[in-house]
Amino acid sequence: MTVQYSELIQPERVHGSLYTDQDIFAEELQRIWYRTWVCVGHVSEVARPGDYVRKKVASQDVIMTRSKDGEVSLLLNRCAHRGNLVCEDQRGNSSTFRCPYHGWTYRNTGEMLGYPYNQGYGGKGKLSLGLGRVPRVDTYQGFVFASFAADGPSLKEHLGAAAGELDRLARLSPEGEIELTAGWLQHRAKANWKLLVENETDGYHPQFVHGSVFSVTGSHIGTLYSDKSTAVTRDLGGGHSENDLRPEFRKMEPMNWFGTSEARVPDYVAKMRALHGEQAEEILIEGAPHVMVFPNLFVAEISVFMINPVAVDETVQNVTAVQLKGAPEMNRRLLSQCIGSVGPAGMLLADDSEMYERNQRGVTARVPEWLDIRRGAHRERVDENGFRIGAANDETGMRGFWSHYRSLMEGEAQ
Amino acid sequence: MNQWIIASEFAEVAVSLDLDANGPRLRLEDLRSGHVRHLDALELESIAWAPDERLRELIDPSAGRWSDRADDADGA
Amino acid sequence: MSGVAAQTGLDIREVEQFLYREARLADEHDYDGWEALWTDDALYWVPAGGDDTDPERQMSVIYDNRNRIATRIKQLKTGKRYAQSPPSNLRRLISNVEIVTVEGTDTVVGANFLVVESRERGTTMWAGRTTYRLRRAGDDIRLAYKKVVLVDSAQALFTLAFLI
Repeated sequence: MTVQYSELIQPERVHGSLYTDQDIFAEELQRIWYRTWVCVGHVSEVARPGDYVRKKVASQDVIMTRSKDGEVSLLLNRCAHRGNLVCEDQRGNSSTFRCPYHGWTYRNTGEMLGYPYNQGYGGKGKLSLGLGRVPRVDTYQGFVFASFAADGPSLKEHLGAAAGELDRLARLSPEGEIELTAGWLQHRAKANWKLLVENETDGYHPQFVHGSVFSVTGSHIGTLYSDKSTAVTRDLGGGHSENDLRPEFRKMEPMNWFGTSEARVPDYVAKMRALHGEQAEEILIEGAPHVMVFPNLFVAEISVFMINPVAVDETVQNVTAVQLKGAPEMNRRLLSQCIGSVGPAGMLLADDSEMYERNQRGVTARVPEWLDIRRGAHRERVDENGFRIGAANDETGMRGFWSHYRSLMEGEAQ
Repeated sequence: MNQWIIASEFAEVAVSLDLDANGPRLRLEDLRSGHVRHLDALELESIAWAPDERLRELIDPSAGRWSDRADDADGA
Repeated sequence: MSGVAAQTGLDIREVEQFLYREARLADEHDYDGWEALWTDDALYWVPAGGDDTDPERQMSVIYDNRNRIATRIKQLKTGKRYAQSPPSNLRRLISNVEIVTVEGTDTVVGANFLVVESRERGTTMWAGRTTYRLRRAGDDIRLAYKKVVLVDSAQALFTLAFLI
């Protein structure tokens, strides 16, 4: 059976089967997750030679390593001998990996180093086997991306305008670099991965889903997405989208984007002003981006999420706090605020996750079959840079996601 | 005796300074087998200077511990 | 350590009764009753990725000071904390209770737990070991510290929005 994506994905509605159909999920793995650029981690997680961490790209168990010469590799965690896992710990430091099953040993670049009792293979160096390598690995602002396709658009082409949003995150550090060194919460949800992606830049839900925490903390986040908000939702192309909150932040004092003031983080502000001069004002006012990078990297100002599909109805959302290199004063606050907000017990994300799961159960109902994505279509416009923008709570981002998704699912199979 | 354990999922080695001989030595003990080796200053200096390839040769399982040809770890 | 923390006058039976009460208040979503157990310098911690992380530098599932406990409770009480509205059906078993040590005015207690959570998603089992710091306050006992180490702390977790 060939799925007709042009019928399931229409300009103002998408079909419920896209979230529930096993065959579509299997096809997504081939056409999206094992093909396009997927974010797997950050170089700061393997800061020193020999460092390694285990990662997932959909069901693929991947080891991110840093070799002696500083190169970051993504290796498949599968011994070339019998397919055993060569690496069991979640993180560690080792220049070589030795499979516990029969002792086959590999460099952390994947190259075969040796195997025990080599006369059984005719001697040393007789096997041209190594660990599988993700064919293409590239980084942007330290984020490590994997593509299982040997050819295709470059990472730069894939990121397109979303790259500028990652730049905007990095420039918040006095050293121009972010670090993801606080470890990850792994939040599991019985929901299709696309429900998470669509929710990330949905500005329509916060007042409803997060009303409880906004009301008890006096948070201003709700108003950023209200009908009176001057913030915009932007389709950045390539399936990427953002809630650009800068029009609202520009009405506020520096550091209000983070719900704080200059006086609370004096060292950080002084460092930034010394470094950037007049431009510091803009950086400290505009703050961090709220951007969904197709298909799985979400930056929500202070938190970084990496979404990983497990099954058609199960997804793990990994999340950690943004840490700004050279800004210890900020980092404590970033971590604390992030912990309060995200993950299984987070005062924001636990409620999002509840909605993903209810949504997943809801879409199994047979009628009315469709999910509506038309909000704001009639008032969408094109900004000065040629991007489609909608109001703060319009579904412009979702429409951009689906348009790109459709092009990947309909394109030539590899 | 000050002792450090250097461990990963692949190996566990106790490292200590041995002062029993006429000069100091580094004592390495493979905690998974009990196998012990001492390294003197010149040996350590040589390791510090050894090219990476030489170290990798030592990590080859057939190079020593799991060699099936005692006379020739390099094979055929 | 014997069953009696002599210096603080907390005996094992009294400790157990406190732990059972705390468990029941959490199971039954008696938010005010549960919050009232805490001292002003409270710390409520559910680490992620093992039990020896540094909560000031690493992500935790929960790392609440007294203020944040209050916020968490207020959010639950809005009735719009959807992850607990409707609330999970909960029952937990507390066992292997040990008085570990006495530190100043605090009695440090360890106990294992098993929580069965039922909600529409399905039934989820949460198990682990909790370290409590208990402090006498007049005729009552107060909770100054609760560290909950889940056996699954290094795994992907479903939403954990009830009071663990």
